[in-house]
Amino acid sequence: MKLYKLENIKRIYGRRTVLDIADLEISAGKIYTLIGPNGAGKTSLLKILAFLDLPSKGRMHFTGQEVGRSEKSLHPFRKRVVLLDQSPIMFTGSVWSNIEFGLKVRGVAGAEKKRRIEEVLELVGLARFKDYNAQGLSGGETKRIALARALVLRPEVLLCDEPTANVDRENQEIILSIIEQINKEQKTSVIFSTHYLSQGNRLAHHSLMLQHGSLSDKANENIFRITVVGFEGDKALCQLTGQLLLRIPRAALPGETSFAKIHIKSGLLECGPGNGDRVDGNVVTGHITEMSQECGRVRLGINIGVNLFLTLPMDKYLREQPRIGGRVEVFIPDVAVGFSSFASSLPTA
Amino acid sequence: MDLLFDSVASAFVLLMSFDRELIEIVLVSLNVSCFATIIASLVGIPGGFVVAYSSFPGKRLVLTCLNTLLALPTVVIGLLVYSFISRKGLFGSLDLLYTQKAIIIGQVILIVPVIMTLTIAAVSRIDDRYRTTALTLGASRIQMARVIFLEARYGVLAAVIAAFGRVIAEVGISMMLGGNAKGFTRTMTTAMALEYDKGEFVLAVALGITLMSLAFLINLLFHFFQGRTGNEAV
Repeated sequence: MKLYKLENIKRIYGRRTVLDIADLEISAGKIYTLIGPNGAGKTSLLKILAFLDLPSKGRMHFTGQEVGRSEKSLHPFRKRVVLLDQSPIMFTGSVWSNIEFGLKVRGVAGAEKKRRIEEVLELVGLARFKDYNAQGLSGGETKRIALARALVLRPEVLLCDEPTANVDRENQEIILSIIEQINKEQKTSVIFSTHYLSQGNRLAHHSLMLQHGSLSDKANENIFRITVVGFEGDKALCQLTGQLLLRIPRAALPGETSFAKIHIKSGLLECGPGNGDRVDGNVVTGHITEMSQECGRVRLGINIGVNLFLTLPMDKYLREQPRIGGRVEVFIPDVAVGFSSFASSLPTA
Repeated sequence: MDLLFDSVASAFVLLMSFDRELIEIVLVSLNVSCFATIIASLVGIPGGFVVAYSSFPGKRLVLTCLNTLLALPTVVIGLLVYSFISRKGLFGSLDLLYTQKAIIIGQVILIVPVIMTLTIAAVSRIDDRYRTTALTLGASRIQMARVIFLEARYGVLAAVIAAFGRVIAEVGISMMLGGNAKGFTRTMTTAMALEYDKGEFVLAVALGITLMSLAFLINLLFHFFQGRTGNEAV
């Protein structure tokens, strides 16, 4: 199901266009990452998706309904979506009163309210903090309580603006695993912005790369059309190019279809000879066509008949020393392959 | 200097004896000032919120006008209100002139701009994330305003206290619209002016001490509540 549909959206402040998106569709029940440098327009896009800001131009639909421009028409949409701020702020009062705010607004009271608050405090692992002064918490605790305050409302969409920024590694892990958990268990759609490709690769079904307010072509990386040409046991033979066949678990196919789109997560790919512990997947070979450094990782473009991109940790890069033009073996584990309904125009393989 | 010391000493004796006339004057002052502050708060605080959180053409002009009204002399307000409530005025038939109601009307006009501008300043200082957080959690505009009010409460309270301080210490409106009638419209400041004219400093100094003590007490209470709420673990 289509969650959002954005058409020719522009956000203009004065003479500066901070967001310019020609066409974007976002599907329900998935995790999306918005990746991009500072000033790329991530927060502006999230605010528009949260109905907290209006685009200067363009049209937006949410679950098929056109989003209006009046305050009155936005209010019902806001009740279905929650934005978690990059530096969340706590209202005056206790942790409990902060979490119950949104429930009160929705008229949830009594035992149901109590049960939901206790449940969500357990989920974020801060049940003992319920009577604490919310404005006296540490940065990591504040983020987790803000996450609880959002999740207690059971929103259809959770929007997070850099949820792991300015928190320690332990809190980062907790926040990311909660995001993963609520997506899996409650089918909550999640859109979160991050600077880290690795987080996108780990969690997201889809990545959107924003640069200078526009969706970058890099967002379409590793998304290919495939043709199912046959089956081999529990594997489907998926033709990527004329010569290139991938064996993908049959169960992963989106129904009985001959054509589909696949998304190969660049961060889960392995480059070079393995150490024997590889499980299910495909091994392909190709030539390195481009190499760049990005967020502490090295990004390689490899021509395997189509251009496949992968990112390597720096230590692995230093160990393997891949070179442009060099022939390299790429292992595509089954877990790195997802079927995509990605919005923007797709490269034809 | 002897005159001052003698007056202060006699004023303390007067205060300790709970002089009936003195108490009457203080009560009239408090009555008028409290009513004026309450009415002006009911107008000025929501008005300040609306101006702070609305975008409309001419907003800057409104802010400039409000700031200009801060400097409005009390005698000008006295004259303006007098022209409406005197016998020949538009509301002359209501017989408001030389009543406490007349003083309250004048004082409300005096402090509505004070409360509005200080409320606008207090609300504008509140981090915008309170607004966006309340809205994203599903709050309506009214519920969002309640959140902002709660966060800006000390600034708003300071606005109310400043306004109260302004009315309890003003003399022009009380004199022109109240008429300084003993037992009815004689406030601390008009009584002090009268006693000065008569050359009777004792009551004037006693009232001055009372006025300053009141101002000190109100500020003390304000800081006490502010400190207590700021430090307590909820």
